[in-house]
Amino acid sequence: MQNFMQFMVKRLLSAVIVLFGVSIVAFGLMRLAPGNPAALMLPDNATVEQIAAVEAKMGLNKPLIQQYLIYIGDVLHGNLGTSIFFNRSCGELIFGRLPATGLLTFAAVVVSILVSFPMGIISGIKKGSAIDFFSMVFALLGMSMSQVWLGLLFILFFGVFMGVLPTQGYGSFRNLILPALTLGLPLAALVTRMLRSGMYEVLEEDYITATKARGIGNFKIYTRYALKNALLPTITIIGMQIGQLLAGAIIVEQVFGWPGLGSLTVKAINMRDFPLIQSILLVTASLFVIINILVDIIYVAVDPRMSLN
Amino acid sequence: MKKSELLRRMKKSKFFVIGLVIAVFVTLAAFTSPLFVVHDPIQSDLRKRLISPEFLANGINGYILGTDALGQDIFTRLVTGCRISLLIAAAGVLIPALIGTALGAIAGFFGGTIDNVIMRICDIQLSIPTMVLAITVMAIFGNSVPNLLLVLAIVGWTSYTRVVRGSVMGIRNSEFIQASRVLGASNARILITQVLPCVLTPLIILMSQQIGFVILTEANLSFLGMGVPLPNPSLGSMIADGREYIATAPWTVVVPGVTLMIIVLAFNFLGDGVRDILDPKNKD
Repeated sequence: MQNFMQFMVKRLLSAVIVLFGVSIVAFGLMRLAPGNPAALMLPDNATVEQIAAVEAKMGLNKPLIQQYLIYIGDVLHGNLGTSIFFNRSCGELIFGRLPATGLLTFAAVVVSILVSFPMGIISGIKKGSAIDFFSMVFALLGMSMSQVWLGLLFILFFGVFMGVLPTQGYGSFRNLILPALTLGLPLAALVTRMLRSGMYEVLEEDYITATKARGIGNFKIYTRYALKNALLPTITIIGMQIGQLLAGAIIVEQVFGWPGLGSLTVKAINMRDFPLIQSILLVTASLFVIINILVDIIYVAVDPRMSLN
Repeated sequence: MKKSELLRRMKKSKFFVIGLVIAVFVTLAAFTSPLFVVHDPIQSDLRKRLISPEFLANGINGYILGTDALGQDIFTRLVTGCRISLLIAAAGVLIPALIGTALGAIAGFFGGTIDNVIMRICDIQLSIPTMVLAITVMAIFGNSVPNLLLVLAIVGWTSYTRVVRGSVMGIRNSEFIQASRVLGASNARILITQVLPCVLTPLIILMSQQIGFVILTEANLSFLGMGVPLPNPSLGSMIADGREYIATAPWTVVVPGVTLMIIVLAFNFLGDGVRDILDPKNKD
């Protein structure tokens, strides 16, 4: 237990360092933007005095270090700044959009697990079989599909030709199906591959031969003895990919008109809404870091061999 | 590995052969396209909009794969777009590979503080989702090919750094390195003449596997209007342009979509094949 506490303290400390770095990146990128941020916020015909007034209000005339300290102070007090385009607090906007993206990401992970677990496990057990071949083709195709193209293919097939599923919008379960498939299948492809090779390698181990010798049934060997070990790298991959799913959601949300964080990001970028972009960068990175800590905890819980340092 | 052994493994890997054939075909078609295309890739003609694919009904002067909403020949835009995408992919793999290898070799070889600093920067980079970072940088610096390469370098270097660092750490204390040191070789000399050749294999494998990823990233950025600047054609922006007409003129989306899939699939095959061939564990 003490070991675990030490591990957590270390892990949290490195998370803080990473987030500190992200805040510098978010702050620095906005300062690198060409043009005066104050001028960008005002209409083109703004006078020099107006620009100067906004500059003073935004604190742009202070030294850079001081500007950063003010920024980080605000963030720590929960104030992410005000969006120029929406004229609302960035925090409110982002957290208002998070449920939609969260739902989509969750559904995508469910899709990927439902598809990849049976395929990966069976093809790992029966290497060289028809199912194995099919899984490998699926995995390679899934990893080579742009989500743009996959999404539009679904729209074309289920929306245009068959007309059975809605292709745009948000609200019902039927709306969720196509975006979740589009976001989840590439991840399923990756996990299928990992599980297949994981299963295959574990089944070659001596301890599996030993269980066979003891006369334990195949089903029990696969589920109880082999899968547990084959799953470990898969958990890491899924954890790492959840952060990337948030980013993949940018494309998928754009294709399906899903009102989540992704479409907010594209809007913010198109409107050059720099405070909002900055906040999105910070929030997504924080989410990613938090998810990774959770994955680490799960990992330690499933694998007692994990050395905690 | 001897040349004959290498050749034998190449022939044996189906992935490698299929990937290589398609990749060479696409690359040749893209780069020789100025010799055989008859239409202008960026000349619009609204009288000829959304013509469905004629294939070779009107010979090479017809609209083989149809026209888009601006009356531009899709086949011409396709091969031109492939050329741009492949050029970007080549630079988009090489630049991050160079930066990442240099940083990874330094981090793995020297260890200590410099290793810590480089790896923390890696962590920071990895905690920002690729697409969010990519479109932010594009939005700030504006759409252009150099900026696109900058973005690909920023999102790509970490994989190389991690792989190279790992390999270098594995050999840092080997006897042959110590021997060089005893003979009085400088750190720089050891890094270049002794360490780099050892990391070449994992590096080549990683680079070949990254090509598909780079092409996809470029296509995604172009789809969002933040990749190859208009009016140059690119597979991603062609898909984006055709989206509105997906119900009435599906070829505007299907043609670039299928092409993108085939190209990425070919390079992913190639990457897997290269790994099968070079991976020392693969002793068939």
